Amino acid sequence: MLESLIHVCLAGLSKGMFIWLVASGLTLIFGVLGVLNFAHGSFYMLGAYFCYTLLSMFSDNFWLGLALGPLCVCAVGFVVERFFLRYVYHLHLPYQLLLTFAFVIIFDNLVKILWGGGSIGSPTVTGMAGSVSIAGRLFPTYSLFIMAVGPLVALGLWLMLEKTWAGRIIRAASSDREMASALGVRVPALYTGVFVFGTWLGAMGGGLAVPYVGLLTPGMGEGIIIDAFVVAVIGGLGSLKGAFLGALIIGLLSSFGTRFIPSFDMFLIFILMAGVLLWRPQGFFGEAS
Amino acid sequence: MFKKGLTRRDFVKAGLLTAAATGLGAGVLKPTGLWAAEAKIKGPVKVGYQAILSGTLAGYGEFHKMGVDMAVEEINAAGGIGGAKLEVEFRDSTLKNPEAIKNARYFVDSWGADFLAGVDSSGQALALAPVMAQLDKPLMVTHAATEKLTEQEVFKNGVKQIFRICTPTYQDGNAAAFVAKDLPAMKWATISPKYEYGYTCWGMFKDTLGKLKPGTEFVAESWAPFGTTDFRAHINTIMDANPDGLYSVEWAGELITMMKQADQAGLFKKIKHVMLPVGAAMDVLEGLGAEMPDNIWISGRYFFLYPDNPKNNEWVAAFQKRWKHYPAYVSETGYSSIYAFKAAVEAAGSKDTKAVIEALEGMEFDSPAGKRVFRKEDHQAMYSVPWGLTKADPKYPFKIMGKMVVIPPEECFNRPPFEGAASMPPFKS
Repeated sequence: MLESLIHVCLAGLSKGMFIWLVASGLTLIFGVLGVLNFAHGSFYMLGAYFCYTLLSMFSDNFWLGLALGPLCVCAVGFVVERFFLRYVYHLHLPYQLLLTFAFVIIFDNLVKILWGGGSIGSPTVTGMAGSVSIAGRLFPTYSLFIMAVGPLVALGLWLMLEKTWAGRIIRAASSDREMASALGVRVPALYTGVFVFGTWLGAMGGGLAVPYVGLLTPGMGEGIIIDAFVVAVIGGLGSLKGAFLGALIIGLLSSFGTRFIPSFDMFLIFILMAGVLLWRPQGFFGEAS
Repeated sequence: MFKKGLTRRDFVKAGLLTAAATGLGAGVLKPTGLWAAEAKIKGPVKVGYQAILSGTLAGYGEFHKMGVDMAVEEINAAGGIGGAKLEVEFRDSTLKNPEAIKNARYFVDSWGADFLAGVDSSGQALALAPVMAQLDKPLMVTHAATEKLTEQEVFKNGVKQIFRICTPTYQDGNAAAFVAKDLPAMKWATISPKYEYGYTCWGMFKDTLGKLKPGTEFVAESWAPFGTTDFRAHINTIMDANPDGLYSVEWAGELITMMKQADQAGLFKKIKHVMLPVGAAMDVLEGLGAEMPDNIWISGRYFFLYPDNPKNNEWVAAFQKRWKHYPAYVSETGYSSIYAFKAAVEAAGSKDTKAVIEALEGMEFDSPAGKRVFRKEDHQAMYSVPWGLTKADPKYPFKIMGKMVVIPPEECFNRPPFEGAASMPPFKS
């Protein structure tokens, strides 16, 4: 029983950290730009596909693929923000949702044209293909790696936002756009920068998913974006701290739910979200408006 | 109205033909081959085909299309169906029920389809049943597997317009049980999709195996919702129950993901007998490549190495030449669905719904998957698909079936009247 509990925990933690990697970029973009970016799931998908293509070009060197793939997606993110999204910031939320949703469809089909509609089984990472024995049962090494990367990304984001000059400006622009602009911050350029950075985070999530999920399919971003949205809502839209905690809760809840109350495992997550929306609509760490 | 009706000349021809037929006797009048070409069909024969062309399962739609396109090219190059040109239009089914109905209505009402084919999801197939009765055009289902379609809708509710050319859940549940009874495993568990298809197959497997081998235990079930990418919690559930056998009707990408994650968790070291009713799908075999473990039991709706006869081997070679791919099972069912319509139209000498349904009922025809017969009562195609053990072969970049076991459909398909234990295997005779 104990070995089972330990493994249910581990599975939940790794799932949570994996969702966090995707949710972080979504949250950052919402926190600063105020845009709910549906296409974030597409950046995740593109990250996976670019990473896969690059790693196959460099004799299956996953790390090289992971380093370069997300950078290619950043270029896509730049185009999306600079030439499209920028023109709908001042419009109502539905316009932003429509535009970003349009990109979801465009990117899904683009992937289908470029890589084919079938699924691609992806290679495991050299050096991390195996498993380690924990409490008498095997646990994938790569899942441990994901569990380590999650907190590192969180720490990195915190340091950047709290301790650097750039972070101060980002925080200033997100709390009062007009004032920051009046003080000489070039807000449009800053927005582009944050959007591209958020894109990079999403694409990294996708690159890391290549061995984690083990499969690439057009439309693979649509599932994860729902998880990421739930996490963002529970944690408080725009709050990175909240998203981190929300991801952990969702990961563990779904893992324990699947193991112990299988008839309600999907229900649990949404009941939690409904509860949060009812009693604390701003989420755990969101600011009440 | 006038265009579609018979002209006087046709009428005379038909009269002469009938006279000739009466003269020759029914046994001789089987208009195939040359005869068929004589019995001119009016206008193009139009088939509306829907399959999933978007989202994570878009690959399936592409494979449907490859098979269907090939059939169309071949048939039109050889003079069409009874002299008439064959036209096929493809639409994305999206897997949503309203979309399937919309497509069917569009095909018949706006595009003028004579026949419909395709459909991947069981939910869509069931939703289409009343619509097909209303539209009154034959629908040949090429992928959806729920037995309720043929048992309930066709047999009990009398929706005679629906036929199914692929193997139904009997292959996944019942046939699997026949294979499992000879394995030294007494405790079985499942990780399967958390929807109708998963529940039905596991239920059939349990029932039939329980009857074939009393004393078999079924120790754990873990259901994964559509779109699951993380099976680790499900795998834990199964390993906790410590079974000897794992049965899983996960399919497509989710099966690939599950197999990889199960392997990482060391599941195949502990559980020696694994049965994957849809594991022989080409997307799964190619997607897993060398990562598919050896000695896993797999099956499907067709496997390109079976039957090993000239018709199938030539077809596989032609398919590879045309598409640079091995045919997926939906390519075969799609391809054969078009030929089934061709055979029926030529046998009936007409593309009229009633005549084609009559021709299809009990029709026997040859296809890459082997000889198929449409059972008269429920319109289910009877043909055999092997179960086989995975093994590596230097000729292929993926695992193939080594040892094969064929459970004849007469032995493992439920029988009319689909009521009571006598309708379900094992049968006494």
